[in-house]
Amino acid sequence: MKAPDSGRLFRYSTLLCLALAVIAPASGDIYLLNLLVLMLIFIIFASSWNLLALSGQGSLGHAAFFGIGAYASTLIAVKTGLSPFIALPLGGVVAAGVGLLIGLTCVRLKEWFLAMVTFGFAIITQTLVVSVLAPVTGGWSGLASPRLLSAAIPGNSFIEYYSILGIAALSILAIRALMGSKIGLAFAAIRENETEARASGVDPVRYRLLGFAASAFLAGVAGALEIHHFGYVTPDIFGIDISFLPVIYTIFGGLGTLAGPVIGTVILTIVSEGLMNFGLTFERFIIIGLILILVVIFLPRGLVSLPEEIRKRWKRHGDNPVVSQTKKE
Amino acid sequence: MVDVGILLQIVFWGLYAGCIYLLLATGLNLIFGVMKIVNFAHGEFLMLGAYVTAAIFALSGLNPYAIILLTMLVLVSIGGFVERLCFRPILGTGKLNEIFLSIGLIYVFENVAAVIWSDRWQSIQSPYSGISIPIGPVSLPLDYVIIMVVTTAILTGLYLFLERTQVGMAIRATSQNRRGAMLVGIDVERMDMLSFGIGSALAAAAGTLWVVSGQVFNPYMGSIPAIKAFAIIILGGLGSIPGAIIGGLLYGLAENATAFLVGGPWKDAVSFIVLIVVLIIRPRGLFGEAEE
Repeated sequence: MKAPDSGRLFRYSTLLCLALAVIAPASGDIYLLNLLVLMLIFIIFASSWNLLALSGQGSLGHAAFFGIGAYASTLIAVKTGLSPFIALPLGGVVAAGVGLLIGLTCVRLKEWFLAMVTFGFAIITQTLVVSVLAPVTGGWSGLASPRLLSAAIPGNSFIEYYSILGIAALSILAIRALMGSKIGLAFAAIRENETEARASGVDPVRYRLLGFAASAFLAGVAGALEIHHFGYVTPDIFGIDISFLPVIYTIFGGLGTLAGPVIGTVILTIVSEGLMNFGLTFERFIIIGLILILVVIFLPRGLVSLPEEIRKRWKRHGDNPVVSQTKKE
Repeated sequence: MVDVGILLQIVFWGLYAGCIYLLLATGLNLIFGVMKIVNFAHGEFLMLGAYVTAAIFALSGLNPYAIILLTMLVLVSIGGFVERLCFRPILGTGKLNEIFLSIGLIYVFENVAAVIWSDRWQSIQSPYSGISIPIGPVSLPLDYVIIMVVTTAILTGLYLFLERTQVGMAIRATSQNRRGAMLVGIDVERMDMLSFGIGSALAAAAGTLWVVSGQVFNPYMGSIPAIKAFAIIILGGLGSIPGAIIGGLLYGLAENATAFLVGGPWKDAVSFIVLIVVLIIRPRGLFGEAEE
């Protein structure tokens, strides 16, 4: 699974993207800056979903963790007066705690069952937030959330942008380090063949739970970032759309690769935003849905596998005459 | 002591809700039985059924219950197309691909509906709305009674089709043993397409009943009933049609009892809590086989 990540081309394009991300705010365009902030937040979110997939699991209700992180961080910041920068990882920790609980219930579930339970879990969370927890969460009307940086600070949007860029880069590096470590090997072993993994002394339950908690932590941080960026949180954050976006971005880019969620998020955000500017509010989702269907059917390993696929097809083309010659003999 | 009237009301309303769920769940299980796939976009067929019914109703002014057959006919073709164009190419490539493909389909259908019919909540009025039948101490809306009768008729039709016709038997054979069916000369791919179409039509029938009972609908309404249908087929067993029917009715009853006992907002959540508890105890569902 690592193959598409290696190679000089990949390293250069990573550097190029980073350079672009660093100099982009120089344009001074606030619209562009906002778009990039959302892109970075969803890069973290999609990467967190991808991490869960790497541990051999999946979720159709990742919005639950996104939203829990957002609400927890907001409440912590409001109640204690702490800076959102400190509340942010704490929100992630709360999300990770809930993720651990969900992981415990899902540890024996696979495929459809796992998908359905996680799907339902986001709805349960939303129901709880608007009913039992309404006195704390403000119910359907939501909560005002402190900004990451007070608007009084000069250049606050730039500092905010670079902070989020830093957090996104850090998250991806952390996932990379995790996948390169013994834990990553254990994940791969469980993903490929659970029985064999167990036979060679890997405890699947422990690593599954770890995968769930780590993924929920990152999703929670991403949710908290989004809410501190907008300054407001409502139960809509648990919506089905929010659960599906990281899945779509990751599948489009390439499931199970480090670059997949990043590429998927960047391209699809640009496509979606571009179509929106043409006034295609609903049509853009039709196009994104069609893109997803086409990718699943024709390019199941995502966009990152495109160069490899083209090379393969090319080679096969070149080989053809040779094959027919040998057949004649 | 619970009032008998309230108890009866919970039961009747639960059975009415159960009718809609069981049609959805039966469709899902018919498809699962033959193709061994779960279409997560199944709720979108309910949504399309609702809109197609409303559109035909607005155009023709026919009795909405007469439109149910037309709606099912439209959705058989849409379902068949979806199977042929989307699911057949990825059949056998892994369960994850089906889920991802379904997500794409959800996006496409929801937003096509939003483009055609806008994303406002809509509703239509049945000619019988406002008429109630007194049954014991409660009075039941006439529409609910008709819905139960129509559901029974559809299920009887499905039963006769599967048990008595050549094609129905071929579908059952494919679902029991795909390779065996192929050996005796059944075109299993045609059976896939057909059962997907019929499954979609059953979801569309649920959509028609949803609309004629006066419930509101919008392009995004399909997901919640679909998740409930998943819960039902997990509880009732993947691929089992009787399981889907009994499970659907029980689910409708449980949901209404919950709404009455602990309040409306809990309606959707409690059923999932039950589902999750069941899955923790039995990871393959209540009646699921311990395969693999």
